[in-house]
Amino acid sequence: MNQRFLGLLGLGALFVAVSCRPPAPEIEPGEPTLRRLTEAQYVNSAHDLLGEDVFVPTGMEPDTRITGLLALGAGQTALSPRGVENFEAAAYALAEQAMEPGRAEALLPCSPSGTVDAACAEQFIEEFGRRAWRRPLTADEVGPLVDVATNAADVLESFEDGLEFAIASLLMAPHFLYRTELGEADPEGRWDRRFSGYEVASRLSFTLWNTTPDDELLDAAEAGDLDDDALLLAQVERLMADPRARAGLSAWISDMLHLADLDDLEKDPSTFVYVTDTLGQAARTETLMGFEALAFDDEGDLRELATSRRTFVDRELAALYDLSAPAREGFGEYVHPDESLRIGLLGQASFLALNSHPVSTSPTLRGKFLQEVLLCRTLPGPPADVDTSIPEPTEDAPTLRDRVLRHLEDPACAGCHEVMDPMGLGLENFDGIGRFRTHDEGALIDASGDLDGVDFDGPLSLAQAIHDNDDFAPCLVKTFVRYSGGRREVFGELEGLDWLSGEFAFRKHRLGPLVENLTLSPLFRQAGALDVDTEPDEGEAE
Amino acid sequence: MSILPSRRTVLRGLLAGSAVSVGLPILECTLGPNGRAFADGGLLPRRFGLFFWGNGMLPDRWNPTTSGEGDAWELSEQLAGLASVKDVINVITNMQVRMPNTIPHWTGTYGLLSGIIPIGEEGNHTCSGPTIDQIIAAELGGETIFRSIEAGARPGGGGGVSFNGPHSNNPAESSPTALFERIFGANFIEPGSDGQVDPKIALRRSVLDAVLDQSNDLRGRVGAADKARLDQHMDGIRDLELRLGRLEEDPPDLAACVLPDEPPPDETYATIRESHRVISDLLVMALACDQTRIFSNQLTHPIDNYLWPGTDRGHHQLTHDEPDPQPQVHEIVLQIVDDFRYFVEALRAVPEGDGTLLDNMAVLATSGISLGRTHSLDEFPLLTAGSCCGALKTNVHYRASSPENASKVILTMMRAMGMLVNSFGEGDAETTDTLSAIET
Repeated sequence: MNQRFLGLLGLGALFVAVSCRPPAPEIEPGEPTLRRLTEAQYVNSAHDLLGEDVFVPTGMEPDTRITGLLALGAGQTALSPRGVENFEAAAYALAEQAMEPGRAEALLPCSPSGTVDAACAEQFIEEFGRRAWRRPLTADEVGPLVDVATNAADVLESFEDGLEFAIASLLMAPHFLYRTELGEADPEGRWDRRFSGYEVASRLSFTLWNTTPDDELLDAAEAGDLDDDALLLAQVERLMADPRARAGLSAWISDMLHLADLDDLEKDPSTFVYVTDTLGQAARTETLMGFEALAFDDEGDLRELATSRRTFVDRELAALYDLSAPAREGFGEYVHPDESLRIGLLGQASFLALNSHPVSTSPTLRGKFLQEVLLCRTLPGPPADVDTSIPEPTEDAPTLRDRVLRHLEDPACAGCHEVMDPMGLGLENFDGIGRFRTHDEGALIDASGDLDGVDFDGPLSLAQAIHDNDDFAPCLVKTFVRYSGGRREVFGELEGLDWLSGEFAFRKHRLGPLVENLTLSPLFRQAGALDVDTEPDEGEAE
Repeated sequence: MSILPSRRTVLRGLLAGSAVSVGLPILECTLGPNGRAFADGGLLPRRFGLFFWGNGMLPDRWNPTTSGEGDAWELSEQLAGLASVKDVINVITNMQVRMPNTIPHWTGTYGLLSGIIPIGEEGNHTCSGPTIDQIIAAELGGETIFRSIEAGARPGGGGGVSFNGPHSNNPAESSPTALFERIFGANFIEPGSDGQVDPKIALRRSVLDAVLDQSNDLRGRVGAADKARLDQHMDGIRDLELRLGRLEEDPPDLAACVLPDEPPPDETYATIRESHRVISDLLVMALACDQTRIFSNQLTHPIDNYLWPGTDRGHHQLTHDEPDPQPQVHEIVLQIVDDFRYFVEALRAVPEGDGTLLDNMAVLATSGISLGRTHSLDEFPLLTAGSCCGALKTNVHYRASSPENASKVILTMMRAMGMLVNSFGEGDAETTDTLSAIET
């Protein structure tokens, strides 16, 4: 009852906040897609199912970035034979730990009466299976798994050893490895198809926590609560209030900003004396702590990702940034002073180092990233068969700005480089790993340029120009919707995206309202039609 | 005193790159694609593999100026490092990948290896069909524990060159330790020993049967694109079932097969050249032990900004920015060629029948472009090694008199492997001709 009461409160809040607002428009959603769990989702789910102290294998199959997001790759790529092999081995590694003394007692809902106890195995498979597959198993699904368990128990002469094989089977099943949010005919007739309660639970949990639903969310699905606006909102509020939402939604930011690539930073230590093996990891922590503080502690305007002066650094980053470390150990809060040129994401080592070469900056890579990732613009790759060389520094033309001028002089290059290079050149005061500098090859850096007609001169005004740009906030919204849905938007959803962006702006670009508006809207709950009768073309899945 | 080395000694000899000589019963190559060999002293299988590196080369310094067979041609400046293996390789020049070069580095990679124009654009591209290694694996990979093995020195997803189909990549294992564990770890059965009778293997197969049934149920409820993905997944499960079945058979008794020592920990390699040599050694022994007959050995990704020893910028950046004559790019190509030399020598160091492992296989070495600066698909870098059981000549530099379709090289490889195919590639890349200049 308590939960329902909270839900009603939530509904009240919703009416107060949005009663004068336009309702979410009708949409025609795209076809749902199976999404393989990302590595982080697999690890988080395994811990949730078996305990924080189990060892979870990693590196089974790389996550692949498609259209800028690993979340979209998870919805398109197929598993390799090596991946199948690795997931099988991982399933047994987990199953073995599940049946270790101490853990087995906690997981088993019954005491086995002997080596073979089909009833106890069945009870376990039903309970554990519901958590692993994020929905109850059908009788047809439970039966063969009980057979696996009892047969193995018979051969191995141990109930627990036998059950390991059923657990492994559950954990290598497509129903665990893929999020099977495929939709159902809407029994209430609100839409043609909707995501079922269990599917909504899964969508909520993976979007907000980046892991499998907890028991309370599955119980809410079972009770039909997630088909109800007010009770759904109550669950959204519960999930958002839980500390897991911080790491969960940081996964969105991490995916959007390609922070996973910081594990493979390639920097020349003789050029960059501040580079260390742990720089990438520290830089990722800085960016994500900044996001968490802005989005959760301050409940602030997400556009301040570009302009916030407050950040979090450890001793390593403090040395790189040439400031006194705010904390003796770990990360501490630091506010860049007015005279500093370090601001928001544009002043952070994560973005600056990722979008640079191993020995130098790259105005082109930085500009391309800002255009594509923060403003959601599509830039074609360089045309083939074009001479891409740039001149070496000379006395007359020492800086990178002088040298990449040739991008703008050649009309074949200028079309794209005009929008990329100036933004990147605005950040030339930060070297290839993000250390501040005033000179390049002995010449003073000129960091002026313009973004869509707005002049800037250096990182501060460039960051402000991005913050104010009409495409920035809608780009955050679009990326979030793609991330949560695992696919690109289709034409029939564009109006819904526009509406969501409008509400995002109205609610001062705060994360909480964005999450609530999305998760209660058809963009999140209405399912598109499935083309189930078409057989795939041989060799061409697209 | 005994002159026969212990197995460990044999391995150390191999790892040092020196030849070892252990007698084997005289065997013959299989005539067709499906012969099972070894265990009963029968026929030897043919093997195929790719050796791939990213960012191309410098055609003007790569192409030999003389052509022909044997002494009629001499190695070029960039290929001079192959002198010790000149008699077992071929150089093929003036070939082009015939398709619109819309995705630099990837059009050439996917286009050459699959013969089809890739799908998508930069940031969202994939190979349109299976690559040559997987096409051959579909015919020949079913006899061994591993249908194919993909390995490469560079970590990071998305850079593997072996594809089963669109968005279906076979990631390259970049950790020597993980590669060792996979091939020679707990599941490895020493040659000549009895097959494993561990009852858990049969149980694992029954679990895979259950998972296949579950997958089939799901398959009926998803859209066409997801069906194709699940089909791929289910192929992988069936593949694994077959592999488990092989664990219960007696392994082939191969004199040249020795269990390698565990490689040094991953973090101890100073450069990818060091880890790549260990990976190459492990692949060689995987072939010698008949754990697989198909592989890809990837030095770097199609686009790769690795900071090579002796250079001051990343490889990709250098190919674009360094002024002519690109001395640092040249220096990198020499290192790549040397790494290929190492691999070829290691394959040749394994005795097999009355020849060597290399005699019973074909290796195709290539990149995703030729001249890096312009992402050129002309003058494509193409090398082969091994005579593939006598199907291929060696010590040939074939230079086409006018630019020819690079698909011909792929078709030649398929034919050399005993596949009965008449054409390869689609559209402008289609060919029905092989390169008779390197065929026997």
